[in-house]
Amino acid sequence: MTAIKQIEELYGERGKRARELHDAGKKVIGYFCCFVPDEIITAFDMIPYRIQGSQNDPIDEADAFLEPMACPFARSCFNMALKGEYDFLDGFVAPHSCDTIERMYHIWQSNKPSPFNHMINVPHMMGPSSNAFYRKELDYFILRLENFSGKKLDKGKLRDAILLYNRRRALLRELYELRKSNPPRVSGTEITKVLVAGMGIPAAEHIDLVQAFIDEIKYRPELKADGLPRIFIWGNEIDDIAFIHLVEECGAHVVMDDLCTGTRFFWDDVPETDDPLDGLTTRYICTHCPRSLSPQEGLREEDLENRFGYMRKFISQWQANAVIFYIVRYCDTCELEGPDLREYLNNLKLPVLMIEDDYSTSTIGQLRTRIQAFLEMISTS
Amino acid sequence: MEQTQQVKTTAVKGTDTAREVRALVKNIYKSAHEAKAQGKKVAYIMVASQYDEIIRAMDIVPLPTENYAGLCAAKRDMDRFLLKAEADGYSQVLCSYARIGLGFDSMRKELGRIPDGSPDGGMPVPDMMLGSSAVCDPRFKWFQAASRYLEAPTFGIDVVAPPPQDDLNEVRDYYIKYQREQLLALIEFLEKQTGKKMDKERLWEAIRLGDKAWQLWYDIDRLRVAVPCPMPSQDHFSIMVAGHYYTGTQVAVDFYQKLYDEVKYKVDHKIGVIADEKYRILYGGGLPPWHTLWIFNYFESFGAVFVIENVYRGFDPVEVPAQVKDPVDYLAWRTFLRFTRYHEKARARSGNPTVEKLLDMINDYKIDGVVFHACRSCRATTIGQTHMKSELGKYSDLPMMQLVSDMVDLRDYSEAQWKAQISAFIEALQGRGK
Repeated sequence: MTAIKQIEELYGERGKRARELHDAGKKVIGYFCCFVPDEIITAFDMIPYRIQGSQNDPIDEADAFLEPMACPFARSCFNMALKGEYDFLDGFVAPHSCDTIERMYHIWQSNKPSPFNHMINVPHMMGPSSNAFYRKELDYFILRLENFSGKKLDKGKLRDAILLYNRRRALLRELYELRKSNPPRVSGTEITKVLVAGMGIPAAEHIDLVQAFIDEIKYRPELKADGLPRIFIWGNEIDDIAFIHLVEECGAHVVMDDLCTGTRFFWDDVPETDDPLDGLTTRYICTHCPRSLSPQEGLREEDLENRFGYMRKFISQWQANAVIFYIVRYCDTCELEGPDLREYLNNLKLPVLMIEDDYSTSTIGQLRTRIQAFLEMISTS
Repeated sequence: MEQTQQVKTTAVKGTDTAREVRALVKNIYKSAHEAKAQGKKVAYIMVASQYDEIIRAMDIVPLPTENYAGLCAAKRDMDRFLLKAEADGYSQVLCSYARIGLGFDSMRKELGRIPDGSPDGGMPVPDMMLGSSAVCDPRFKWFQAASRYLEAPTFGIDVVAPPPQDDLNEVRDYYIKYQREQLLALIEFLEKQTGKKMDKERLWEAIRLGDKAWQLWYDIDRLRVAVPCPMPSQDHFSIMVAGHYYTGTQVAVDFYQKLYDEVKYKVDHKIGVIADEKYRILYGGGLPPWHTLWIFNYFESFGAVFVIENVYRGFDPVEVPAQVKDPVDYLAWRTFLRFTRYHEKARARSGNPTVEKLLDMINDYKIDGVVFHACRSCRATTIGQTHMKSELGKYSDLPMMQLVSDMVDLRDYSEAQWKAQISAFIEALQGRGK
C-alpha cells in the first residue's frame, strides 16, 4: 500500500490505531491544543492522542451540557466523547489554553471521566516568571502521571522522546519544503491529511509514514508553473480537509499556514538541554497562539512586527501572495487578533480574506462564493 | 450615525443608599477627565484583577472600560459603538464589552475628540492600559487590540487559580510565587510610567481600606439571608461599583458602612423589598442584562425577589497567614485564597466550586428558584451554566431557568420570549405550593 493510501486510511478512520493500542494494553492519553508535551506522555510509555472533532457530524448531544455559544470545535469533540467515540482514552488532559477549553475540561471530566484526568495551567503572559510557573505545572503533571502509572519518570526516556519528536518535526518541515515550488509538489489538502493522521498514532509510526510519503512525492513528475494564487492560511483548528480542499478547488494553492493543527504544533524543535524539562518548557510556552500575550514592544508598528514577524518570514519564503483567515467562531482571542494581523499583512501589501466559520462542512457552499470572489479579486488586482 | 433614543432600562432600587451609586459612577469618569487636566496618570483597567490597591497606592486614576460598556447599555447608547467595532472588523460574537470599548476608542480617534453625547462625558485617552487574565481571555487581549486606536503603554498580568482537583498542598507555593512575581512586574511597569517608587506603607493602607470595604460588603450580603429580603439583586448591581471601582479607598468603606446601617435597619424592622415576598430567587450566574435591569422589578410583580447573586460579588473574606509581612506577598496570598475558597469543599462532594457556592446560597438564603443569564458574547460566565444546572439538580429540586440575551448587546434580547419564560418559571414556583 502506498504511503498516501495509508495516510488516507488513518485520516478517514481516526482513532482506529489508538483504539487498537488501547485494546492491546497500552495507555492512550487524549489531550487538546498545542501546550501538552507529547514527549512527557511518550516517556511514560503511553500514547499521546490529539483530540479532534468532526466537521461532518452535527453537534446533537453536547448541547445538553455545553452552551451553543462555546467554540464549536470544542463542542464537537465533547459530542464525540458523549457518543463513546473516545472511550478508548485512558487519560484526558486539557491545557488552560482558553476560556472554552478550561470550562469544558470540568464538564468533560464530570460527565465522561477517564481513569486519569488533568489540567495544565498555561500562563497567558510571556516572560521569565511565566516559564518558571509553566515548568512547575509540568512537574506537577509528571507527578500525577507517576501516581497514575505507578512508575517514576525516566529522564533518559524523556530525552529519547525529545529526539523522536524533533525527528518528526524535521521531517514535517522537510515535507513543507516541498510546498515552496511553483506549483507546490504537495497540496494543502494532502498536508492536512498527513498532519491529522499523525495526531492519532505513535510518533515513530508517523515518522515512517511521512518519510515514505516524502519519498513518493519525489517521484512525482515536475509540473509547469501555473501562476495560481499562493495562499497562506491563518486561524485555529482545521482538522478536516474540507476547507483547504475548497480553496484549492476554487483555483489556488494553499502553501503555508499558521494553524493549531499546522505549523504551530510542530515547527520549532525542543532544545536539547541538560535538564530535558527546561527545553520542553521553553519550546511549549512559546507556541504561537493568540491566547498568549507577548509584552508590548515599542510603538504599534514595532509591536506588530514582534508579534507577527515569524509569519512574514513564512509568507516570504513560501512566496504566498494572499492570506485567508479561518477562525472557528467564538474564539475570542482569534477574533481580537484578526484585525491586528490583517493590518500588519495589509501593510505588507497582502490581500486578506477573514472567514469566521462554524466548524462544519455544511457551510462549505456559502464559503465557496466568498473564496471565489476573493481569488477573482486577487487575480484582477 | 443617529443616536439611539434612550428608554427606561434601570430598575427601581430597594435601598436608598443604592440610589447614591449613580453619583459614584459619574465621578469615575469626571475624575479621569480632571486627572488628565491636572497631568495625573489615568489607566484603563479590568475589574477584579487583584491589582486595585496597587493602582490606588500609586495615585493612578482607574478607568474601568467594562463598567463603561455597562453604562452605555444602561443608557441604551451602545449601538453606535458596537457597530463601529464591527465595521472595524471585530466579530459580532466577540465580547460585547470589548466591542463597545474598541468602538468607542475607534470613534474617539477618528473624531479627534470624545464622541458627542457619550454617557457621563465619555472616557479620556488613558496614559496606560492594564489588562489581566483574571476571569476571561478578552480581559488581557482587549487592550492589546486597543493599541490600534491609541498610543498608550500596555501591560498585562496573569491571575492564576488551580483547578479544583489539584492538591493545594502541592501547588500552593508556586502559584503564590507566580502571582507575586506578576504583581511585582506590574509595579515595576507602573514605577516606570509614573516615575516614582511604590510606597509600601501606602500600599498597606490601601489594602487595609480594601479589606475593610469588602468585609462590610460581605457582612451586608450576610444580612440578606433575612426574610423578607432587605436588599435585592438590582441593588447589588449598583452597589458593586464601590467595591470594584473604588477598592482601596475610604469612599468604598464609607459607602458600605452606610449601606450596612440601612440594610441592618431594614432587617431589624422586617422591611422587605416588596410588601408580599412569595419567592426568593438566586441569580445563579451570567453577567447582568444591563440593557434591561427593570426585569428584576418585573419578577417582583409576581412576588419573586432576587435575594442574592453569583456574579460581580465581593470575594469572601480570607485569612492570609500572619507571617506574611510584605504587602505584595499579602496580595498574592489573598488572590490564591480567594480563588480557591471552595476547592476543598468541591473535592469532598460535587467536584465543582461554583456548585458548592450556589448550594450554600440556596441553603443560607432559603432560595425557592434559580435564574441564570446566558450572555451570547460572554463565554467566561456563560459556559458551564447548563452543566451547573444539571449538577445542582443532583442536590436540589428547585425550579431553574436560563434566560438568554447578552450583557449589553440588545440585538440578542427578546422581551416577549423572556416574559413567556418568566411566566412558566413563576408557574413552576407556584406549583411548589408556596
